[in-house]
Amino acid sequence: MSEYALSVKNISKKFKIHHEERDSIFESMTGFFQKGKHSETLQALDSISFDVKQGEIFGIIGPNGGGKSTLLRIISKIYAPDSGSVDVNGSIIPILALGLGFHPEFTAVTNIYQSSILLGFKKETIDSRVKEIIEFAELEKFADTKVKNFSSGMLMRLAFATSVLVDPDILIVDEVLAVGDANFQKKCAETIVSFKKRGKAIIFVSHDMSAIREHADRAMFLNNGKSEIIGSPDDVIAAYGDFCRERDKRGNVSNE
Amino acid sequence: MTSIREEMWKNRGILFNFAISDLKIRYRNSILGVLWSVIEPLLMLSVLYFVFSSMFKFDIPNFPIYLLLGIIIYNCFRNGTTIALNSLTNRAPLITQIYFPRSIPAISSAITASIMLAIEVGILLIFMVAFQFVPPITMLLLPLVLGLQFMFVVGVCLPLSVLNVRFKDTEFIWNVVVHASFFLTPIFYQFDMLPEYVQNILQFSPMVQILTMAHHVVLYGMLPTVTSILYAVCSISVISLIGYLIFRKYQTKIVEDM
Repeated sequence: MSEYALSVKNISKKFKIHHEERDSIFESMTGFFQKGKHSETLQALDSISFDVKQGEIFGIIGPNGGGKSTLLRIISKIYAPDSGSVDVNGSIIPILALGLGFHPEFTAVTNIYQSSILLGFKKETIDSRVKEIIEFAELEKFADTKVKNFSSGMLMRLAFATSVLVDPDILIVDEVLAVGDANFQKKCAETIVSFKKRGKAIIFVSHDMSAIREHADRAMFLNNGKSEIIGSPDDVIAAYGDFCRERDKRGNVSNE
Repeated sequence: MTSIREEMWKNRGILFNFAISDLKIRYRNSILGVLWSVIEPLLMLSVLYFVFSSMFKFDIPNFPIYLLLGIIIYNCFRNGTTIALNSLTNRAPLITQIYFPRSIPAISSAITASIMLAIEVGILLIFMVAFQFVPPITMLLLPLVLGLQFMFVVGVCLPLSVLNVRFKDTEFIWNVVVHASFFLTPIFYQFDMLPEYVQNILQFSPMVQILTMAHHVVLYGMLPTVTSILYAVCSISVISLIGYLIFRKYQTKIVEDM
């Protein structure tokens, strides 16, 4: 029996690109009479549908600007989609940037509490795991240091340790794990494997094809907001490879 | 509206967490720290007292207490709304990376202001002892009046927090509103000193009605008049409803506007 951890149906999202930032009411009012000059719409995602089963690792690849981060943000409810729906079965933690929305003025421990409580976890759960999180992140000396003094590697370690130890049902990781050193990378890989064994779902974006091939059960190639192919990692990586070669060729032709 | 109330209850832990951190951030790097929420209204009181009792010879009974009551109720409105203005923008990293109900920062701003108000009510009580003023039994109704004020502040904070993300003008416009409301609320004068046509306009201001009710229950030992209650409840409902609609319209877009 394998239930869906996450089901994405027909998600579309358009962005308005303002060529001249209109921040004030006056500019907005004057701009009203010259509509169309200042903005164009970008179809960031075009009816994307896919399911992720419990215990499945789902990889997303694609060129920059392909819509990968937008998709992760919609799954994490940070953006509202224009149409379509996301059904989430269980708790979800997104690592979208360095840190988990950490406040620079707060200490590592305060941030662990703030972020995980905001994500809907109980204070008692965190009480029992704070020590473990700090140890996993190898930040024993910096538990009560303000996060603004952390390096990007430290922030990443803290975010990842918090995410895996508060134990969500679904983990979402944008291409940031590469910041850690080899030792921590190994620890991440081990954690991800054990996560999968316990029936948790992971969605991750990566430019590292070997990571996709090694970890993902299925993958999706996202280009210009459209999902070109969903399938086994090998097929998807092959399709992405073809796309890149094609693009290079076209680039060379236009250069000549 | 009911969804907001449910969200508030479900997220009460976060609400207080935000309210406390707002207070901490407000007073960090200041030597006197939270004492400022005591000193500031007292300084304001002494200036106003000097100006209006020595220079303008106002003759309002129990003037220091009358003034202080007005100041603390006005302060709650001012503090709540000005904290709410930047409550979302100050949390940009959090909001762009984690989903939580977008109403929380605005509501927690109102809670922050209420915590400060509670401290200031303490000063009011000390003043009553110092001036040997025996408050009438109707003062027990003050919490109800302040509850109404809390609803009003929340109703204003919600739209302000999202509007200031989209339009930075909100902050400047609001500063003028806050400044004007200090003079358009009977803090240092009595409402019936005003010309009648001004009274007719200002009676629609929730702040005027709330402060009038507070004067009635704390100073005069009278129940709030039915007209006051009616005007206050109606104007607060209208403002909160419009505020809620604005909030609902803009809340899904705030991350894109940040």
